[in-house]
Parts: sequence; structure tokens; C-alpha cells
Amino acid sequence: MKKTEIILILLVALIIGVIMSLTFNASTYITFADAEKQMGKEFTVIGELTKKSEILFEPRLNMLTFFAEDSLNNERKVYYYDSKPQDFERSEKITMTGFATDSGFVARTILMKCPSKYNEQQYINQDSLIRPTY
Amino acid sequence: MEFIGEHTLIGNLGQAFTSIAFAASLLAAFSFYKSSINESLKSTWLPMARGAFFAHGISILGVVSCMFVMIYNHYFEYQYVWQHSSLALPTHYMISCFWEGQEGSFLLWIFWNIILGSLLIKRAKSWEPTVLTIVSIIQVFLVSMILGIYVFGLKIGSSPFDLIRNLEENIGLPWTEMSNYLQVVPQFLDGRGLNPLLQNYWMVIHPPVLFLGFALTMIPFTYAIAGLWKKQYSEWVIEALPWTYAGIMVLGTGILMGGAWAYEALSFGGFWAWDPVENSSLVPWIILVAAAHLMLIYKAKKVALPTTIALTLLAFILIIYSTYLTRSGILGDTSVHAFAGGLASQLLVYLLTFTVATLVLFFVRLKNIPTTQKDDKVSSREFWMFIASMILFISAFQITWFTSLPVINKVFGTQMAPPLDAIALYNSWQTPLALLIVILVGITQYLTYTSTNLRKFLRQIAFSLVLSGVLTLLIAYTVNMWHVLYFSLLWATVFAAISNFEYWRKILKGTWNHSGASVAHIGFALVIMGALLSNANKNVISSNDGFIAKDFPSNENILLELGDTTLMGNYYVHYKSDTLLGINKTYEVEYFSLNDEKEYTYEFTLHPFIQLNEIMGNVAEPATKHFALYDVYTHLTYADTDVHDTSNPYHHESLINIKQGDSVIYNQHFLYLDSLMVNANTDVGSEKALDVMLIAALRMQNMQGEFSSTQSIYAVKNNTAQSFPGFIEEDGLKYKFLFDQVNAEAGSIQIKAYEHIDNEKPFIVMKAIIFPYINVLWIGMLLMAIGTFIAMIQLFKNTKTVVN
Repeated sequence: MKKTEIILILLVALIIGVIMSLTFNASTYITFADAEKQMGKEFTVIGELTKKSEILFEPRLNMLTFFAEDSLNNERKVYYYDSKPQDFERSEKITMTGFATDSGFVARTILMKCPSKYNEQQYINQDSLIRPTY
Repeated sequence: MEFIGEHTLIGNLGQAFTSIAFAASLLAAFSFYKSSINESLKSTWLPMARGAFFAHGISILGVVSCMFVMIYNHYFEYQYVWQHSSLALPTHYMISCFWEGQEGSFLLWIFWNIILGSLLIKRAKSWEPTVLTIVSIIQVFLVSMILGIYVFGLKIGSSPFDLIRNLEENIGLPWTEMSNYLQVVPQFLDGRGLNPLLQNYWMVIHPPVLFLGFALTMIPFTYAIAGLWKKQYSEWVIEALPWTYAGIMVLGTGILMGGAWAYEALSFGGFWAWDPVENSSLVPWIILVAAAHLMLIYKAKKVALPTTIALTLLAFILIIYSTYLTRSGILGDTSVHAFAGGLASQLLVYLLTFTVATLVLFFVRLKNIPTTQKDDKVSSREFWMFIASMILFISAFQITWFTSLPVINKVFGTQMAPPLDAIALYNSWQTPLALLIVILVGITQYLTYTSTNLRKFLRQIAFSLVLSGVLTLLIAYTVNMWHVLYFSLLWATVFAAISNFEYWRKILKGTWNHSGASVAHIGFALVIMGALLSNANKNVISSNDGFIAKDFPSNENILLELGDTTLMGNYYVHYKSDTLLGINKTYEVEYFSLNDEKEYTYEFTLHPFIQLNEIMGNVAEPATKHFALYDVYTHLTYADTDVHDTSNPYHHESLINIKQGDSVIYNQHFLYLDSLMVNANTDVGSEKALDVMLIAALRMQNMQGEFSSTQSIYAVKNNTAQSFPGFIEEDGLKYKFLFDQVNAEAGSIQIKAYEHIDNEKPFIVMKAIIFPYINVLWIGMLLMAIGTFIAMIQLFKNTKTVVN
């Protein structure tokens, strides 16, 4: 067998390794209810900020609390022990990595889908534009 | 209808330039193609093709000028200007507006392609028609991204010259029917402004460098395609080599500049976060490096040509893929700084066209590509360079595969979430691969082509082996790095740096002309060493002991009150003052050290600041103290940026319901309602029969048991109630009490209690990290760029000698 063939086989093996390792390491996006079945274990939940709820940042405790709704429209209180990200109020979608507890979901990291054109559109379409000030 | 205050001329002009640029690139592609067919056609079509390319270039310069006029003069009727600039924006950041949006950054890319295309017209000689055909086709695609026209109801590209009122989503809205909308609609009086994160000097230089790097990867690609197309399978290599090195240098510098920006201006807490946007520009660089090394072994030994071609083509395909990833919006859930979508389907078409066309051409020609039958010797240089390239390929593959998770989800309909700790996962793959690569970087120069005399080889590297062993032990002892993998990587980087230096000193006799590889390899080893030392041993000195759960630190941040001094790491930090300067609120934080005699010595002051931005949210910018051996990196995670209303300084309202003789706890005090006096008009017949005055006598007791008291009056006169507050000041703390209402049924009264804003000292919450030896990384980056530059110059000289 030629050495290049051996290298090729090793290469393919490694590539399969990479592919497999992702599938094993990747969790799937789940809902709050699923996360609550295994409290304390880390999961990733995608949710939306429920706009009516209050976003509370307690700087002295370094704690952000807000309410988020998952894909099944279940609402949970989310605790995030870090500073409030820029533009948090205007986020459309929040990806939260963390674990469920009795009193809410504790997020270790949060990632927001940032204000895009959608939000700018809302910004122009505010009332003042529909009823301009002459 | 005439719209007042619009400047439509410049937009029409810009749109015209865009259209001409598009048409000219089509014409250039066609004419270059014609001139590539045979010599007789060449004489007629080549001047035409060059003319078209020239016209294309001039039109793009016209587009750029129009955009600059629009931004400089604040024509907010244009979507691009309104969205990316504002009146308050300083002139030097207007340049950054160019590349904040999709359209502008495509323009930048197009611009660099024109510069490079012109250079190729000058230099490429017999390759000109074929190479420029491909360049022109790429330009056709890129210009189509900023075309913004509708073809059969499909929008092609997004033009920077679109008026806001003409945007699809605004058509029919009431304000678009108003001729004076620019004057009366408040939103159009000023633009939305540049994202505060981009208002940083790195953002002025990083994108142009990065896009020049993107543009440079095009050249080896065009040469490789031209080689396959014209069946000049091996001739293209020598032509493409210097350009490949130019690409490595510029793209690599651009990526690390992005890292420098993240480190200086973002609150990532580091220079690299394995963010998909970072990854997608790193991957083509890795592949380009692999391709360049394969080109070198092909040039020397005529081996591995199919792999060389494949990787060269792949580098550019990955650039397009990276463009797709970052600009289609597909990364939305996994990346912090991807562009918002909008051009997704067009980019996908672009990506698929190039990928499929390249694959077809490659596989059609594959059987004709010359290969060698004899096997490489294990002791030969080419064998190990090939292995190294394959390791680079694996590294790139792992990064791409993991980064592409959202794409995989979309294609296969899966719901995989990104790994919970992505950084750890990337590091666990990339660290061993880096170890292998760095070791190969250290030894491969000592190997000779065809086969190596093992004894000679060992004699040559013995010194480096011994010295690196000793040095690594010393360093590991100093920085306490005994983790097996980290220690091995540390050794490998030290070894690679020394052995490459020794190679240059002893074997190349210290000549500069051929020093490129050695210098670049030392640089690479130092980049890895710096990344290892600064990351593995980074120390979050602001962290404290609070934990929410196991392995879940609640607080990597420290709280500082104004005027307070707190221990943080080895420093005593003192929050001295804050000042508002323009849009920046700057916080002065002093650092002291305590010596053995218990004396505080002033060390340095840092000024982290917050850029106030009402529209996009405030942004905290880090402040870093650079020392030769380490950096102290700090950024604010919270600071009160509100402007307090000093005319009404009482806030934090509390409602207190209290009965006469009762006490309640309020704000670490006991509050008593000692008495409630009623002063009423008892003359029933008088017209003031309902006038009444209630006086609440309040007493407050602090934790030391000391009392202070006040009265609040509630009066009804002529049927209107009025309340007069009572004030208490004790120990520097001020409170206000307002008799609010009477609850007759409960027999109690309601008091509103307020605190004075001065009761609360302003405070900041700060994160501080020490990055040890991070300068090693920056020095490495510089050496890598210099080394690659030397190599590139040398290779350009080579092509000249070959041509002559």
C-alpha cells in the first residue's frame, strides 16, 4: 500500500471523528419544560422576550431577570448573573444556555438575535410617523 | 409629486455608475473570454476587454465618490446614509460607514478586486485573458450584489442608493405621500448613526485589510482555474505562488487586527472567541497556508498536484462560503456580530454557482492532471510538508464543520444546538492539532527534499532540542504550566522558534533574502505561544467567591463605590471620579499596590468608558494597561449613566401604611407614628365646614438607637387636598415623608417615603482580567507578516526570472 493511501485513510477517519464528535457534543434546542425534567443539567433554549414583563437589572447583585417564552409559548422567569447586554430590550430572539431550577431558568450565557432591519422598520413606523407632527 | 429637500441627482448618478460598472464587467468578462480563445482574436478583443475593465473600475470609483458625498453631506433620505451615519459622527468615522453595511462592504471588496485586476493586467502576460475572464466574472457577481434592481419581480442586490421612501416595506405608508416628509418626520432629521462598537480606530483599518485579504485569495483561484481550463496544469503554480503569500500575509494580518479590535474595543474578554464570524475568515486562511506549502513542494518536487489544485480552489470557495455565512443571516442564533440578512438567496446562488462550476471543472480535468507514481520517502521534506498541510486541512475542517451547524440544521432539518461550551470544544480539537503543526514547523526546514540523512538531521536540530527543553522548563516553572498538553505545546512553540532561528543563522548564514520562511515560522510559533500563555493562564482578578451552583461562578465582577478602595487581585482599586465628555462617560479608576511596610504606592490609572448611544444602546469600552509582560484588561459591566434630575432629588418611593402609635421598619430604621393631630373646623354652618388639617408626627430610630423626627401635614381646603412633606436628615442621609392619604376604614394613614439621591453613592461594576505575555502574540503576528512579506518578494523575483 502506498503511503499516500494510508494518509488518506487516516484523513477520512479523522474527518469522520470530527463529524461524529459534533453530533455527540451538540445538544438540541429544547423547551423550558424539557429542561425542567432534568433540573441542574445544562441545555440550550431559544426563547423570546415577553415584552410585557419587566426586565430587571440589579447591578449590586449583578443579576438580570426577565421573562422569556419558548417555542411552545411557555413563559419562565430567567436569571442571568451578568450585566445586561447592549440593546437587550430590543432583541427578537434569545438563545439561552443554562439550567432549570424551581424558581426559574438560570442562564449561563445569553445570545441575542440582534436588531435588524425589522426593528428599524418598527422604529420608522412608530406613531409619530403615522400621525406626523405638523 | 416633488419631495422637498431630497437630493435625487446624486442617487441617480450613483445608480447609473453601478449599472455601468455591472455592464462593463459583463463586457470585460466576455471580451477577455474571446481574447483567450486564440491569438488572432486576442489582438482585437484584448484592447476592448481592457477598456471595459478600465470603464468598470472608473464607474466603481464613481459609485464610491457618490456614496461619500451622500454620507459627508448627511442625505438622510437615503437608506444607507440614514442607517449608518448621523450628524454627530466625526469625519474620520465616516469612512467606517462605508463598510458598516452590506452594500458598502461589497463595494470595498469590489474596489480591491479592481486594484488587483489592474495589477494582473500589467503583470500576468500570457495569462491575462484567462485570469482576467475569471476576475471579471467574479466582479459581475459582486456588482450584482449592490445593483438593487428588479428582474421579473426578483430583487437583485441591494443598492446603497435606495431612498427610504422607495423601500418595499415602506411603500404605501402615509408619510411617503408627504412632500415635506424630510422636514416634518422627526426620525429623518438625523441618521441612526454608526454602531458605537464600530467607532474605534481598529474599525477604520481592519475591514480594508481583511477585504484586501479576501480579494487576494481570488488570484491563486483564478490562476488555478485558468490552469485547469487551458490544461496548463503545472505552469500556473509558479505564477500564483507570490500572490498566495501576499494573501496569507494580508488576510492573516486582517484577521489578527480583528482580534486586536475585539481585545481593545469589545467586551469579549479576549482577542479570540471562536465566534462564527471570526472562524469563517480564519478557515480560508488556514487552507491558503496549506495550499501555499503544497505549491512549494510541487515547485520543488512535482508531487501532489491534484491536492495542490484542490486546496487552492477551496480557499476561495471558502471565502464565498464565509460571505454567505456572515451575510445571509443564517448565523443569527450562534454569532454575536453577523450581518443581518436580506441577500440570502442571492448569496446562496453565488456560492452554489462557484462551487459547482469549480467542482465540475476539477473533476473533468482530474484524470489529466499529472501525478507521480513513485512514493515519497518518509524522511523527505515533501512528505512532512504534505502531512502538515493535511493537518491544517483537518483543523480547518473541524472549525468549518462546527461553525456550519446552523447550515447543517437547515439542510438536514435537524435541531442541533451549538455545543454548550463552544470555546472549550474548539480548544480541545485545535490544541492537539496546533501541537502537531508547531512541531512540524520546527523540524521540516531541516529535512531535505527526496530524502534526509538522519544523522545529519539530528546533529543539526540537537542544539535547538536541548535549548528548547531547558527554556521550556524555565518558562513552565515561572508561569506554572504543567498540564501535559499545554506543557507540550509550550515546548513545541519554544522549539519551533529556536530551530527556525538556528536554521536561518547557521544554514542560511543569516541572509535576508531567504529568511522569509524562518521569520514567518518564528512568528507563527510566537502567535501560538502567546495565545497559549495569555489564555491558559488568564486571571480574572475581579472574581469573588459567590457561587450559584457548582462550577457556576456568580460573580466575575467587582463592585466599586465612588471614593471607595477595594482589594482586587494584587491591586487596591479606587474609583476616583467620573466625567462626561461628549458622548463618552469616562470613569477614573486608580490602581495601588501595598508593600511590606503597609504603604500604598500609586501604580497606574485606567479610564474605562461608556459610549452613550440612545438609539443602539450604551456600549462599555474596555481600558487596558499594557505592561511588557502582561496586560491588565478591564471593562465596566455596569455603571449608572442616568442623568439625575437635581430639581427633584428625592426618589425610590416607598408606601407605608401605619396606625397611630405603631412602628414599621423602613430602610434599616424604625419609623414611629407618634401622633396624629386633627385640626378641623367644627363650625358646621360655616362655608369652610369641610376644611381639615391632619398633622402626622413621625419619629425615626436608627440602628444606634438615636431618634430624629419630623411632621407631615395633610390639609383639605376648599375641597382640595394638599400635602406638605416633612424632612429628616441624619448622619448625612436625607429622607422625605409625604402624608399621602387617610384610610378611614383601616384607621391608618398612608405615607410616601423617599430617599435623597445623595444617599446612594454612585458605583460601578467592573471585570478585570490579567492576560500574561500577550505581547508575545502581537510580536509573533508582526514577525509572521514580515516573514511572509519577505517570502512574497522573493517569489515575485522568481517569477520574473522564469518569465525572462
